[in-house]
Amino acid sequence: MSGPPLAAAEVAASGGEERVAVASQLQLTWWRFKKHRVALASGIVVIFFYLVAILADFLAVTDPHATDARRSYVPPQAIHWFDEDGSFRPHVYALKGKRDPRTFRLAYAPDPSEKRYLVLFARGYSYSFLGLFGTDRHLLGVHDGRPEESLFLLGTDQLGRDVWSRLMWGTRTSLFIGLVGVGLSLFLGVLLGGLSGLYGGVVDTLIQRLIEILRSVPTIPLWMGLAAALPASWSVTRVYFAITVIISLIGWTELARVVRGRFLSLREEDFVIAAELAGASRMRIIFRHMVPSFLSHIIAAISLALPAMIISETTLSFLGLGLRPPAISWGVLLQDAQNIQSLGIAPWLLLPAIPVIGVILAFNFLGDGLRDAADPYG
Amino acid sequence: MRRRGLAILGACLLAASALVPSGTRAQGALAQSGLVGEFEGVTILTDPAKWPKRFKEAPQLAELVKAGKLPPVEQRLPEDLMVVRPVREIGRYGGIWRRGFTGPGDDENGNRLNASDRPILVDHTGTVPRPSLAKGWKTSEDGKTFTLYLRKGLKWSDGHPMTAEDFVFWFEDVYNNKDLNPTPIPDMTPQGKPGRIVKVDDFTVNFEFDVPFYLFEELMAGDTLIGGGQAVRQSNKRSHSAYAPAHYLKPFLPKYAGGVEAANAAAKAEGFDNWVARFHFKKDWTLNPELPVLGPWRTTRPINNPTWVMERNPYYWAVDTDGNQLPYLDGVVMTLAENLELLNLRAIAGEYDVQERHVDIGKLPVILENQAKGNYKVHLDLAFNGADAIFQFNQSYTADPEIARWLKNADFRRALSLAIDRDQLNETFWLGTAVPGSPAPAESLPYFPGPGWREKWSTYDPKQANALLDKIGLAKKDARGFRVRTDNGERLRLQVIAVQAFLPWPKIAEMVADQWAKVGIQADVRDTERNLAFTRTRNNEHHVMVWNNGGTELLYLFPRHAIPVDPTEAFMGPEYAKWYASNGAQGTKPDDPDLLRIFELFRSAAGQKAAERIETAKEIWRILIDQQYGIGTVGQSAALMGVRLVKNNLGNVPARNCIAQHCRTPGGAHPETWFYKN
Amino acid sequence: MAAYLARRLLLALVTIWAISVVTFVIIQLPPGDFVDAYIANLSASGSMVSAQEAEALRVLYGLDQPIWVQYLKWAARVVRGDFGMSMEWGRPVTEVLGDRLWLTVLVSLLAILVTWGLALPIGIYSAVRQYSLADYVFTFVGFVGIAVPSFLVALVVMYFGFTLFGANIGGLFSKEFELAPWSWAKVRDLLGHLPIPVLILALAGTAQLIRVMRANLLDELGKPYVVTARARGLPEHRVILKYPVRAALNPFASTIGYLFPFVVSGSIVISLVMSLPTVGPLLLRALVAQDMFLAGTIILLLGVLTVLGTLISDLVLMWIDPRVRAGIQG
Repeated sequence: MSGPPLAAAEVAASGGEERVAVASQLQLTWWRFKKHRVALASGIVVIFFYLVAILADFLAVTDPHATDARRSYVPPQAIHWFDEDGSFRPHVYALKGKRDPRTFRLAYAPDPSEKRYLVLFARGYSYSFLGLFGTDRHLLGVHDGRPEESLFLLGTDQLGRDVWSRLMWGTRTSLFIGLVGVGLSLFLGVLLGGLSGLYGGVVDTLIQRLIEILRSVPTIPLWMGLAAALPASWSVTRVYFAITVIISLIGWTELARVVRGRFLSLREEDFVIAAELAGASRMRIIFRHMVPSFLSHIIAAISLALPAMIISETTLSFLGLGLRPPAISWGVLLQDAQNIQSLGIAPWLLLPAIPVIGVILAFNFLGDGLRDAADPYG
Repeated sequence: MRRRGLAILGACLLAASALVPSGTRAQGALAQSGLVGEFEGVTILTDPAKWPKRFKEAPQLAELVKAGKLPPVEQRLPEDLMVVRPVREIGRYGGIWRRGFTGPGDDENGNRLNASDRPILVDHTGTVPRPSLAKGWKTSEDGKTFTLYLRKGLKWSDGHPMTAEDFVFWFEDVYNNKDLNPTPIPDMTPQGKPGRIVKVDDFTVNFEFDVPFYLFEELMAGDTLIGGGQAVRQSNKRSHSAYAPAHYLKPFLPKYAGGVEAANAAAKAEGFDNWVARFHFKKDWTLNPELPVLGPWRTTRPINNPTWVMERNPYYWAVDTDGNQLPYLDGVVMTLAENLELLNLRAIAGEYDVQERHVDIGKLPVILENQAKGNYKVHLDLAFNGADAIFQFNQSYTADPEIARWLKNADFRRALSLAIDRDQLNETFWLGTAVPGSPAPAESLPYFPGPGWREKWSTYDPKQANALLDKIGLAKKDARGFRVRTDNGERLRLQVIAVQAFLPWPKIAEMVADQWAKVGIQADVRDTERNLAFTRTRNNEHHVMVWNNGGTELLYLFPRHAIPVDPTEAFMGPEYAKWYASNGAQGTKPDDPDLLRIFELFRSAAGQKAAERIETAKEIWRILIDQQYGIGTVGQSAALMGVRLVKNNLGNVPARNCIAQHCRTPGGAHPETWFYKN
Repeated sequence: MAAYLARRLLLALVTIWAISVVTFVIIQLPPGDFVDAYIANLSASGSMVSAQEAEALRVLYGLDQPIWVQYLKWAARVVRGDFGMSMEWGRPVTEVLGDRLWLTVLVSLLAILVTWGLALPIGIYSAVRQYSLADYVFTFVGFVGIAVPSFLVALVVMYFGFTLFGANIGGLFSKEFELAPWSWAKVRDLLGHLPIPVLILALAGTAQLIRVMRANLLDELGKPYVVTARARGLPEHRVILKYPVRAALNPFASTIGYLFPFVVSGSIVISLVMSLPTVGPLLLRALVAQDMFLAGTIILLLGVLTVLGTLISDLVLMWIDPRVRAGIQG
């Protein structure tokens, strides 16, 4: 059973029956969406993640590329909120590192006598805020001494780079790099799948064969080939971006096939025949009449495509084909954790897995809610 | 406030310095770990009077003898025996050696176990050449003839006698076959004049040259094209080494099969494309169980399976001082690990008996932690080469004239070298166990250029680095503090290609790039896939390539990572390597007088006697280090095959392996003398 | 109908030819060739090869000829059923592939069975009892299945299997049975090793399937004919299973085509991490080593399976949805 139509309370809240009757589909969708609490929360989470991505530099504490052997594999530092006298002065202790000559393990001993007090809007490395103006203020920092030396919220990696700061930069890369690709795939999928299903015949055959050829092109060799063929002077991120665009020119096939299937069924529906008889153009029929009737499926598809993009980035980086150092993304960060020494000595390197899981969960719940809300039969 | 800040800063530095070891303390730290042993090795008895008169063999072989399937052991062993006194004790027969390998490309894993199949093998210190397959050798006074004395009565693994015929066969029918070997190899062609192999009698072979070639003796003792031995030089589609089993391989060559057509037809009948493809298969000990071999173990299940199985060679020509025919271990079983993490995981779980190959030094703490559980002991063996990560600057680069200009500028390179904080690299990637400094070979080797050459241009001196860069014309910087090009005012960007191979070079390069940024040079590290990296460097497209310089500790035997003389791998200047190797016919002549001098010295060394050669090598190293064509970081470490896991129930395994190209780690430790104690 | 089928088969052949060309081009895309990969491998393994030997190999493998010549030679052989020799493994491609193929099929089929066996009932239940606690729980678990990268799960499972249980989880056989000939004991050993890789493989697919099944069924359940059926007094389970579920399965018909290549390639990433001897890692190795014939054959095989899968998908779609049948015949 799908959800009940707008209940009496909502109708009252939205200003009465008349409003519901003349409300546009968008408004109806929004009202229904608001009802789904989890989806709403997920939507907020997704927005929050993208905010983090935009403010990555501000949220970062240290330069994510700054290395130092003396802070290699530092575990996450504990924040102490109160001084001994009870006053609220959050601080961390400075660390002394020593390598045990028999076990070769690095041990860090916090020194309670050396306190580093946390400061908001502290000075750090300089960057350009949203490309508008230069600044060197960051959300957090330490008083006295440089953050590179004493603030490791999530620990450091083998080269002594702060995981928290790298996670901020990684969020930015991972969340933005797939957007264009997904958008392109979506557009091509709906358009070509729709044409294929609507027209049938030669058009259908041609598009279907094209899909088959493209689908059997294996992505990994294509990826390898493209990565090698693109100019060596391009940065890693630019290469990856170019490749996502190219891959999305191939990746629209899945959505197209599904859309085609739906179109083939819908073609015989009354309302489509009515629109044709009324003289509507093909484009109008597709986008104004047919698409909304399986909009929910498209939404489900997008809500899976975006996180799928993110997962495919992490997977490709794991295979060494996606983004590679010195680029920073969730995939690159997780690749650092894909070995025994990380699991055994530095498990905090696995922390980037949490935002990955979080974002994907959020996208899925959000898509779920949107699908429910847009369901025209609800 | 400020005083407190300074006090804190001081405390930080003190704390930090406790972590970063200085030169002497590094040695101390390693000694404290107790993991580095003393060199120890087998002794070879060359005096027949001391040899055992009665011989024993493994029980399964004794069974076969009783059944009449094998001649008795006295008849299988040569008259000119190889008598080995094991490191500690006489061993016992039995047991299988389990190891991990990574696929058909990992033939080296097994080749090295059979390292004794070469005429001359160096000892456990890596410095003294000793008889192995050959019982002796001699270089004539004029250096034009090298004589090898073979062991009388030595037999191939199928019982057929091994004689000088096998050497002549290789020379006339394999080496001179243009389909297998299109052009002469430098090992046999001093000063461009080809040499010959001549049979003197059944057990004496002469290598004759038209010019003095004193270097040849050293080449024979190293892991070179001519001295490498059948196992390594004829596996995996290669066709060198000075000998081959004539009686077995002749039928597969057109000369003896009735012509190319007939040979091709026969090959096609067996499923090969042509006779060359079939020949590559037939002579490959890792693929063809029927091939006669000379090493302690022969393949029974080929390398292109999930498990590579070897068993003892019943005709192996060495015995211990009690007369027991070696090897003690019945066989070797290698299991395929699809990736290196899994291999290391299995090693830690104690599934391998002796494993030094593919073990990652970064995992050392975890490996040490599991010693008791896995029932193994960890040994750290230190290498002789000076640079585990060397930044090779492409001297023949032409695509971007501005970049080429700086790559070829010695002060530019020196500045970059001085900007590297080697102690940091050492601590992060080598856990403090390596020796920072220039790429020169270890101080214990005769080739070490002399006092002061470890440190020359290779200390951490950013002040001098900045001064040098300012001086040569790169003083101008952009808004972020990076130096700009002199042609268009844009930021100077250096591309560094790094491959994730047996060391984490991309990460190492990242750290170095961060250090170079501090003196204003922007380096773009390209973590490149291996094949692509080799293709790019071969096509002269790279600025800087990161690799190691293993093998250069004996400069003449494996020079390619120190000097661009071999076109297959010439990161320092592919076009120059072509020029050198083709004697000027291809490639580009260097315009750098120091490089030309190096080529000159290198070429002349072939005709010099040992003492003079060593001096020449030292001079080459001095030029290399002074010019910093390749910037070294740290070396003499346990990173490459130096972390060795040895099960506790194995005996005669030396406390320290020699880690060098020509030591054929672990072959130089004579695994044929290892045994299971229970 | 027959004409339609014949037309499709002809088109399939043309498509396969096009795939072979594209395959070959893509394999040759990365600069360099097998000999470059061969040299690189030897250098990285602490050995070396001379420039002379490398040149001889180039001639031997015909790598010095232009690409279209190499393609024609390869195509001519493939048509004759001769897939060539793998340059890296030194054995015929059919042998190398054959060894791994049936194990791959076994693991993939099991994963598919688990996926569909779990996902369909859960998806149906979720849609029917929308917004119930069970719905949320299943949905959540399903999403976690998609959200967690499978290779991460695989690596963590393996590592903890080792540290906590001292167990060697990688691979499909214990070391005792790896070399042994087939016996009941070996079969039992294999069955013992299968659950974990199959479950991890099935994880992500299950979640996705639950999602889509639920969405489709919800679409259907909201339609007037369901209300009508209920009003008519049909028992609830018939109302749901007889028509809505069938209609909801419609989009899946389009995805059956995917399963065919998947059965053969499996999941490369999980196979890599857990060292499963399947076709996926074999393909990756072949690509990295530029082992032309092996890589080309595998990709061609996948392409053929895709084409076959698409054909069967379309036929299934026709069979279950009369509207589509009408559309094609009309």
